[in-house]
Amino acid sequence: MEKPANDSLPCIAGIGLRAPHYCEVLEKLPKLGWVEVHNENFFGGGASLRTLLKVREHYPVSLHGVGMGLASTAPLDQAHLSALCRLCDAVQPAAVSEHLCWNSVPDMTINGPMVINDLVINDLLPFPYTQEALSHVARRVDQVQEKIGRRLLVENLSSYLSFTSSEMSEGEFLSELSRHTGCAILFDVNNLYVNARNLGVDAKAFIKALPAEAVAEYHLAGHSIRDGCLVDTHSTQVCAEVWELYEFALQHIGPRPTLIEWDSDIPVLAVLTGEAEKAQQRLEEYHACFK
Amino acid sequence: MLVLNDDLSDFARAIVRGEEPSSRVVTSYQNYSVAIAIEVYRNNYRGNLHDTLAGAYPVIEQLVGKDFFRLLTRQFIGQYFSRSGNLHHYGAEMAGFIAAFEPAQGLVYLPDVAALEWACHCAYFAEDAATLDIGKLAQVPPEQYPDLILHIHPACHLVRSRYPITAIWHAHQPGASGDFHIDLDSGASNALISRKNDVVVVSALTEGDAAWLQGIQAGTSLGEATATTLEHYPDFNLQTALLKLVAQNVLANFNLGAAP
Repeated sequence: MEKPANDSLPCIAGIGLRAPHYCEVLEKLPKLGWVEVHNENFFGGGASLRTLLKVREHYPVSLHGVGMGLASTAPLDQAHLSALCRLCDAVQPAAVSEHLCWNSVPDMTINGPMVINDLVINDLLPFPYTQEALSHVARRVDQVQEKIGRRLLVENLSSYLSFTSSEMSEGEFLSELSRHTGCAILFDVNNLYVNARNLGVDAKAFIKALPAEAVAEYHLAGHSIRDGCLVDTHSTQVCAEVWELYEFALQHIGPRPTLIEWDSDIPVLAVLTGEAEKAQQRLEEYHACFK
Repeated sequence: MLVLNDDLSDFARAIVRGEEPSSRVVTSYQNYSVAIAIEVYRNNYRGNLHDTLAGAYPVIEQLVGKDFFRLLTRQFIGQYFSRSGNLHHYGAEMAGFIAAFEPAQGLVYLPDVAALEWACHCAYFAEDAATLDIGKLAQVPPEQYPDLILHIHPACHLVRSRYPITAIWHAHQPGASGDFHIDLDSGASNALISRKNDVVVVSALTEGDAAWLQGIQAGTSLGEATATTLEHYPDFNLQTALLKLVAQNVLANFNLGAAP
């Protein structure tokens, strides 16, 4: 069988593919536009990679990283980057993405003299959006793009706090980053909604200000609430407000490949494909490309 | 150094150590306090590491129970920081940690079971490698056999223990018979971890086979490893050992070693 095209995702809805659904997807080959997986689960060889390669025979695959730490102040992890390159070579993905976040500092002093070297916090952490940070992140995005030999998609973050030192909004930062590096933007609508509720970000202004031509993918997911704080848990269905923002984005930015993400309390596959169907309907309503 | 680094380090200390965040963090939010925000990040941090350890050490969790395992991981997370953006690298020090963990002192076999589980975890994520080409090996002139350096497949590990850890591990796999009556004095066990058809398998090796494999793993030549093994285990049979190890995908390749 001819592998699907490997240069870009089709402008239809896809789902995040996680371990509980590998077998069912390979067995039933349901109608899915494309799938997205977390890179780090496929670093190395063996069963995971073999499964992904089988999936790749039937669907375009997007590789979505959670561990590169584009804004980290510790040096870019070259072993991590090499593992990503090997995975790209094996999978020939339709897209490669990462988050606009940090996860590591080179050395951290605690209790006076004690220093922790190369501490990694395995999460997606926000940082102040300054000119200094912009040059720093841009250099690292350049390095990643050079190494993988293709355009990287960079995703806006869901945040629970912000910094007084920020000199621009996250949207402005992403736009500038894209302008400087040629990277594309992966616009996560739920993340924006979380930030609107948590941090008071003006969601519609954010959408209007994004450079539409740079946006290459949408993410949709559900969140939960802890003590008044919206937490991006990817554990529920997409809420009505996020669907509305998605429709607003379709009008202002246009139709783009759209992903349903679900990472904890993962439901049966039919629930995921049902959510993807809702996105697909909206894409078609807004004159999405038809096959 | 970047000014950015100060903000990230302060934020990191708040997450990892629970310290007050930097004054450059916005302190007032519409629906919650900054303390709640930090707590969400602290929970994510510890939760992700706990879940990672639970994923890598399912047998340990079964052996000690969920509550004890949570206590154990909380202590471990306080002591060992993650050093990789790939969470699958976290937790390597668990065997040594358990050996020194006072509340687990009664479970003498636990550190070795942890070592076995870490080996399985690493085997699962190991790179692929071609397995030994017997045909190619057969073309080596017999007089060169002693100089052969055999390469071990990246997914292969050997864990040697005074305790029957192979039996303990098998008894706690999904679908096991439920026979947990394992005599701790039933003797040492040499757990061989390898990958067959992409599935991680754990099998038992004899003392002699294990000693020989350890020599090969250390990079000694076929001749030297065999001679040393025979000194200690006169019953060691190279052919039987080779057949078994080849069948378990343990050997990857060979070279002729340094010329004498």
